[in-house]
Amino acid sequence: MRNSKKYSRRHFLQDMAFGGGGLILLGTFGFRIIQDKENRIIKAISVDFSKCAGCRTCETACSAYNNPIEINGERVNSLGNPHYSNIKVYHFNPDVDVPVTCALCEDPPCINACPIAPDLITGRKAIYRDENMTIKNDTERCIGCTQCAQACENLRGGVIHPNPETHKPERMCTLCDGNPQCVENCPFGALSYIEMPANRSYENLAPERIAQQLIEQLYNIKV
Amino acid sequence: MAVKGYYGKVLDINLSSGEINTLQIPEEDIKRFIGGRGLGTKILWDKLPGPGVDPLSPENALLFMPGPFSGLPIPSSSRTCVVTKSPRTSAVNPKYEHGSTVSYSNMGGFFGPEIKFAGYDGICVTGKASKPVYIKIIDDKVEIVDATKFWGMETEEFDNALIDELGDRKFESCYIGPAAENLVPMASILNTAARAAGRGGTGCVMGSKNLKAIAIKGTQSPQLGDHKRYLNLLSKVRKSFRENNTEGVEWWRYGGTANVLTTSSKNGTQAVKNYSEGTYGEIKEIGAAANREKVWKRDFACFSCALACKKSGIAKGSYSVMVHDGPEYETGTMLGANLMISDLAGLQKLIAVADDYGVDIISIGNTIGFLMEAYEKGIIDSKYLGNIELTWGNVDAALQMIHKICNREDIGDLACRGVKYMAQELGQDTNKFAIHVKGHELAAWNVPVHSDYWSICYATSNRGACHMNGGNTSGQNQAALRDSLAACNFASGWYRNEISYANFLSAITGLEWTDEDVDRAGARIFTLEKMFNYREGFTRDDDTIPPKFFENKFTFGDHKGAIVDKKAFYTNLTNYYKERGWDIKTSRPQNETLVDLDLSFTIERT
Repeated sequence: MRNSKKYSRRHFLQDMAFGGGGLILLGTFGFRIIQDKENRIIKAISVDFSKCAGCRTCETACSAYNNPIEINGERVNSLGNPHYSNIKVYHFNPDVDVPVTCALCEDPPCINACPIAPDLITGRKAIYRDENMTIKNDTERCIGCTQCAQACENLRGGVIHPNPETHKPERMCTLCDGNPQCVENCPFGALSYIEMPANRSYENLAPERIAQQLIEQLYNIKV
Repeated sequence: MAVKGYYGKVLDINLSSGEINTLQIPEEDIKRFIGGRGLGTKILWDKLPGPGVDPLSPENALLFMPGPFSGLPIPSSSRTCVVTKSPRTSAVNPKYEHGSTVSYSNMGGFFGPEIKFAGYDGICVTGKASKPVYIKIIDDKVEIVDATKFWGMETEEFDNALIDELGDRKFESCYIGPAAENLVPMASILNTAARAAGRGGTGCVMGSKNLKAIAIKGTQSPQLGDHKRYLNLLSKVRKSFRENNTEGVEWWRYGGTANVLTTSSKNGTQAVKNYSEGTYGEIKEIGAAANREKVWKRDFACFSCALACKKSGIAKGSYSVMVHDGPEYETGTMLGANLMISDLAGLQKLIAVADDYGVDIISIGNTIGFLMEAYEKGIIDSKYLGNIELTWGNVDAALQMIHKICNREDIGDLACRGVKYMAQELGQDTNKFAIHVKGHELAAWNVPVHSDYWSICYATSNRGACHMNGGNTSGQNQAALRDSLAACNFASGWYRNEISYANFLSAITGLEWTDEDVDRAGARIFTLEKMFNYREGFTRDDDTIPPKFFENKFTFGDHKGAIVDKKAFYTNLTNYYKERGWDIKTSRPQNETLVDLDLSFTIERT
């Protein structure tokens, strides 16, 4: 698989180099890979903002894979209307494009915000981290209070969209059964599926804030 | 039952009455005219009661047409074709006061795909709103919203203001600027503050309807005829972009069409000094390499495109300006080489200001070039121009002309109508260097070198002079087809063999299309446009090129002495008509040609 690699010190230094290191908002020298509560390493989708050209191929690939249709009993990719994608590319003017997807946060505010009591056996709330590290929602237990979506909106990238009818959370990254289709299909190599350094909090920001930083760096314009 | 891959309906909005309907598209029309430019022209034909309709009257229809590829992630297939009756063109011997050609203008970006996502094969706007409005569309929820507060707003500012108003960045939109609001005939329609349906005065028609913008988003997808075949082709074409002609991909990413600024100049095919020369000595100053070094910071792609030919950056120097897209070959030539302007920041400023007004940069650059030549020849003076010293290479003077034209101030009120009109006003043989066909200005490719190709290309274009038309019948058919599918010309080289347009169209519709079938569809679309024009009073006399090309020899560069052989041109034109099955005297397509192309319905109406 392309663009799939371990996040090394070299990558970290590359990131630092782009735009004079301003991309790493909370960057300090040296890093730690993010892990879940049981110290399992979390791999997620990382964006190289210097490469994204805003074509939204990732959106169509994500939507097509995660919303399959059935033909003669076989599940195949749909046409991939980007509305249903879990990754979103936001366009800004002055021109920058900001792909945003669930960062599989180390300390997920969505789970913290969920008011449903943890299951006695599994320890899971309605919204929980699955074995594969993705954030999932148990629609049986979820009451559609939208606290998770609000937490994500206020504290991170705002990727969770409550279903318009049930108000239950949607659009969390599924990692496409281990082969993220956004990464696989990005024509510009802007996305990678990698172990995430803890200090690389850029991924977790709202698109507006990322755009602001990028615009300042690229065009030397304050917005 | 619609053809698979289509919804079979076009959103039909009458801004006079406020009525919002959907227009059912006959299955037969979809099969014959495909989408985009072709289907748009057929709908226009049906909507207009007959020839001679004033293009700026409420009766004219303005169509925003995606194609069957739109919204599918088929790489580089995001074009939106705007089709209307042209406010730019007129016949040599007018049959009707408002006789004009069809106009179609094609823009990249994200707008066309979103029309498909909202569940339509196109949008048709007729009528005229009583005050400025914009149209807001979310699937089948369509609103006509007051836009009074946005009227007068330049495109750069409006691009952000509209998103603020909508409160949702996932809308895609297109809009006009002050030029269109002022009914400047050469006004354009823009999206993303840079990508333009620039040619043919589409913006002026939009302005005449008091329509500032359309914003759209949607949640739908059509059903395909052979879904699995489509998926298979999609994965193959994606692979092809990754593996085949990777230098080609890199070439587009490096410089976009600006790559050819220097090569075209070297080859003598560039419009320089109002088309007097084909080579510009200072072209390197404004070429792709100079821009890479000094201006461009980012490459941008349209929907599902791997080529990313649009460039953004900051220009600094004589002017400081945010660059959304520029120069590309056309804008860099028409406001650069053609005006002998080699000041890069100055050129960027001209492009940015023209885009901000929303004006066709090809036509305005051509018009300023014409005025510079008239000024040099002493036919007009600075007093006539409102105290502008309009000398070659003068950025400030060109900038003042853009302001005057887009605001229709003083000389601008005449000049905004283009070079044909200016030459009629000025007389004194100025028509000899008025570089237009049918009233529509030529683009940045000069004629004398490769004159067999370029003279036919410009002379026979159905929207008036057009560099994208193709210089022979097969190239023209292919272009008409691409514009109807919504495919991008720049990526056409990747669609070969199994991953052909015909095979994609077969998978989408579930009907079998061969290469010959799609070529015939291209010929049919081109011929329908021709019949539209013939009905409006355009004949062989209108299929010509400006006299300058028969009289002026290049004095500079590798192609010094190049000139067009008039006799050869007319022979080529006759042969062209013969190949098309058109009458060689009148240029009207012969009845058997029309029957053969399944265009019999045009016979009784001309």
